[in-house]
Amino acid sequence: MLEKNYLWRIYWRLAGVIMVCVVIALAVVSFFSHRVFDRELVPETEQKAATVGASVRALVLKATSYGIDFSQLYGVEQTFAEVFEENPEFAYMAITNTEGNVLFARGTEPIGARSHFRNPVVLQIAHETTELSKAARVGQQYIVSMPINDDGKPLGVLHVGIDAAFVDHVLLEVLLDVVVVLVVSLFFTLELLNFMAGARLASGLGEFARQVDRMRSGDFTATARIRANDEIGRLLRRIDSAIDHLNVRYEFLVGELQDKLRTATAQRREALKPAQDALEGISKRLRFGSAPEATDGDEMNLNRIRAPLFAFILAEELTRSFLPSYVNQLIVAIPGISPQVVIGLPIMLFMLIVALGQPYLGSWSERVGRRKAMLVGAIVATIGFAGTALAYNLYDLILWRSLCALGYAMVFVAAQGYVLDRTGHQNRAQGFALFIGAIMVATVCGPSIGGILADNIGYRLSFGVSALMSLFSILAIMRLPTTEVVLPTGKPTRGPRMREIMALIVNRRFMTLTGLAAMPAKVILTGVCFYLVPLYIVSIGNTSAMAGRMLMVYAVMMVLIVPLSASLSDATMRRDRYVSVGLIISGLSGLLLLLSDSFLVLFGVVFLLGLGQALSIAAQSALVAEHCQEEIRIYGNDAVYGVYRLLERLGNALGPLIASLLVILWGYQGSFVALSALVLFCGIAFTIATHGSEWQPAAPAHS
Amino acid sequence: MGTIRVRFIIVALVVSFFAVGMAAFLNYFKYKSTISGIVKSRVLVIGRNVENSVQASLSVGMQFMELGTMNALLSREKASDRLIHGIDVFDQTGQVLYSTERARVGEKVSNSWIEAAARSKTTEWGTEAPDEYVAGISLKNNFDLTVGYLALRYSAEEVDRAAKVAGREILLASIFSFLGIALVAPLALIVVIRRFERDLRALEAAASHLEDRNEPAGPTGSAFDTAIGNLRSSLREANVALDDLRAKLDSVP
Repeated sequence: MLEKNYLWRIYWRLAGVIMVCVVIALAVVSFFSHRVFDRELVPETEQKAATVGASVRALVLKATSYGIDFSQLYGVEQTFAEVFEENPEFAYMAITNTEGNVLFARGTEPIGARSHFRNPVVLQIAHETTELSKAARVGQQYIVSMPINDDGKPLGVLHVGIDAAFVDHVLLEVLLDVVVVLVVSLFFTLELLNFMAGARLASGLGEFARQVDRMRSGDFTATARIRANDEIGRLLRRIDSAIDHLNVRYEFLVGELQDKLRTATAQRREALKPAQDALEGISKRLRFGSAPEATDGDEMNLNRIRAPLFAFILAEELTRSFLPSYVNQLIVAIPGISPQVVIGLPIMLFMLIVALGQPYLGSWSERVGRRKAMLVGAIVATIGFAGTALAYNLYDLILWRSLCALGYAMVFVAAQGYVLDRTGHQNRAQGFALFIGAIMVATVCGPSIGGILADNIGYRLSFGVSALMSLFSILAIMRLPTTEVVLPTGKPTRGPRMREIMALIVNRRFMTLTGLAAMPAKVILTGVCFYLVPLYIVSIGNTSAMAGRMLMVYAVMMVLIVPLSASLSDATMRRDRYVSVGLIISGLSGLLLLLSDSFLVLFGVVFLLGLGQALSIAAQSALVAEHCQEEIRIYGNDAVYGVYRLLERLGNALGPLIASLLVILWGYQGSFVALSALVLFCGIAFTIATHGSEWQPAAPAHS
Repeated sequence: MGTIRVRFIIVALVVSFFAVGMAAFLNYFKYKSTISGIVKSRVLVIGRNVENSVQASLSVGMQFMELGTMNALLSREKASDRLIHGIDVFDQTGQVLYSTERARVGEKVSNSWIEAAARSKTTEWGTEAPDEYVAGISLKNNFDLTVGYLALRYSAEEVDRAAKVAGREILLASIFSFLGIALVAPLALIVVIRRFERDLRALEAAASHLEDRNEPAGPTGSAFDTAIGNLRSSLREANVALDDLRAKLDSVP
């Protein structure tokens, strides 16, 4: 009926218009900011130039006081060079004599400098005996001139040139962050369109489409739903009304026929036979009456999980780019443990709690209800975030981060369960696309915005923002339906048993997928993205905002490539190849640092890692179902996937630990390289191991 | 105005508020950190002069605790910039050895100063208190060992005043930009969602005449035409069946 992407086309058009408006607004803000920067920063820099100039002048006067001729001073240009090194905004320095002739100079001389130096007003400065300095715009520089005067005897003038473009350089640094804000705004727009309008629209149009389908199949049963008071709601009310009229007419006709039959003679009964036949025909073709009470499994309910999940995951993702630096600030010496390992400890513990908790929290959330489990999880995490913001030292930080991890695991599992409860085989993939979509968007927006916040308002307040975001997610969770959907045939989920874990760990086929693909992929993800990148970037003098931008590159790659690689790997049925190629690309990423430690190379590392992970991530879990059918038959789907996820998440926990140990041995660059080499080795081993005929995809059955 | 249109406009306003707010926030903090950096480096120029003098004294064998001309030097350097409130030199325990204010000699400096100096990866360090900022230099001897610290206390007023002025202007620019968006975005959105609204109107119009027996109007070009056609034909079919039943019932007196 309606094209599947009808609404998405509208969203993109709306997002385009909103983005154009936002870009124009940002340009206006930047323009006015530039004016303010220009007006306020230049005088301040001129004062600084005067102070620096006074220091240089003191040196000159000291030299002349020893009897050295003013025009024969030695090392003046060298002193100027040192000044430039410490003050990059200075572009030119010169000393002129009382006639305005240049004696010593360094840097880029602005056009018109020579005539400016001979200007009588400037020449007059040499005769000043006070600390006076004068500034004037000469070409592309602001020249600050001050007298060199030896106890009333004018010697010359010192000139310091400030590059007028230095304000542009300052604003250029802001521009990078503004671009990040734009990208985040685009994702926010799509998320908000979905949250504020799309969920209801999609639900309304979906309901309309289902209603049309029902009527086409002859189902005119009346539904007793409350319709929203909007365009779609009004439309559905009109359709409901038309159906009600039909039902009333039908009931009336049936009643009339039954009345006539009750009081009819045999002859009259015969005459009513055609009407009876007609009613029978109608009853066969069409259905009237009341529709069975609808289940809550419509798209509307599914969509409602997206906002709370997005807000909650965003709270955690905000911290990704600066958490290691924050830990570094609160670090306490633990005897026998290297500081590098200690920095990775909270991340490791977080991942471990999530890994070990998830299998068991699944059945807990089923028992207490998904909504309640999400609420408890979000409350626990909010306390964790607030505690982290106020942490005294590493020990209590670990406690607060553990609460965050517990809350994260609870919310994640309960939200997953919410989707599972409301989807069947037909729309489960769609449900999980929505679930993963919310997480991915949070992954794009979180680290970059978190980095910007951390740089400007500090780590503690940024954790405060996370706590607020988590609090907001509580409000959104409270709006979820209070009635839980209980699947009638569903078995209660359970965590994997030790017996199953042990059996699967020694299973060659299962471990080829898990040990050579899933675990190394997670080790490099958390080791590089959550531990090495934030720390390495700060160690080379960059900011948390830059670490956030790097992590955003990874997330954007995932958002763009995962859907494509998932559909391609499904279509070709050569998922093993996608996993192999993905692992090898991930493995090659860190090796780039062997070429250079430049910033661009680090960008390349994150880009390649994102590409490699995006290629392999979707195919990995599908391969389990494809190649571990025997294991699934023996232990069950839940157990096999439970163990798979458990080991995969243990890989998450191992990542920061391995990375930190490698940092102790070989430093940051060495750690990048070694971690990548490990994954490259696993990728090659996986490729060789899956080369045999048992790993070939089964031929599609002919229908 | 349709409720869907209102929701779309609210989305545009919320996103614009976020983007403009973030841009204003970024510009303001960049300005504040730049101006703080400029003022701090200006103060440190004076600090470097003191550092050079200390190092020159140490290199000729004088003891750090016995630099007789130090207080006079500090007073002279303090006078060279009106921004500076005072200059202190303290040892590694935090005890002030020399100062522009005699009363401070022998007192302990704030722990935050020592922590900031220890945390810094270079010889320069800094810390901020509500009323004054501190820029410092770790003083090293010829063997590159830290013998003490130099702290220049300077007025926070200059930075705060500049930040206030810039903040106000950036805020005003942001408010006007946002108001501009609030005016333009709804108009632009109305143009973009016209087609969608036309589709919805066609749907609503068709739905309001669902029970009409006469021939439906031709296709509207809306994305919902097929659905509307199906809806009408289903209802017509049901009505025809019920009409037939009615006729058969009526035929029996």
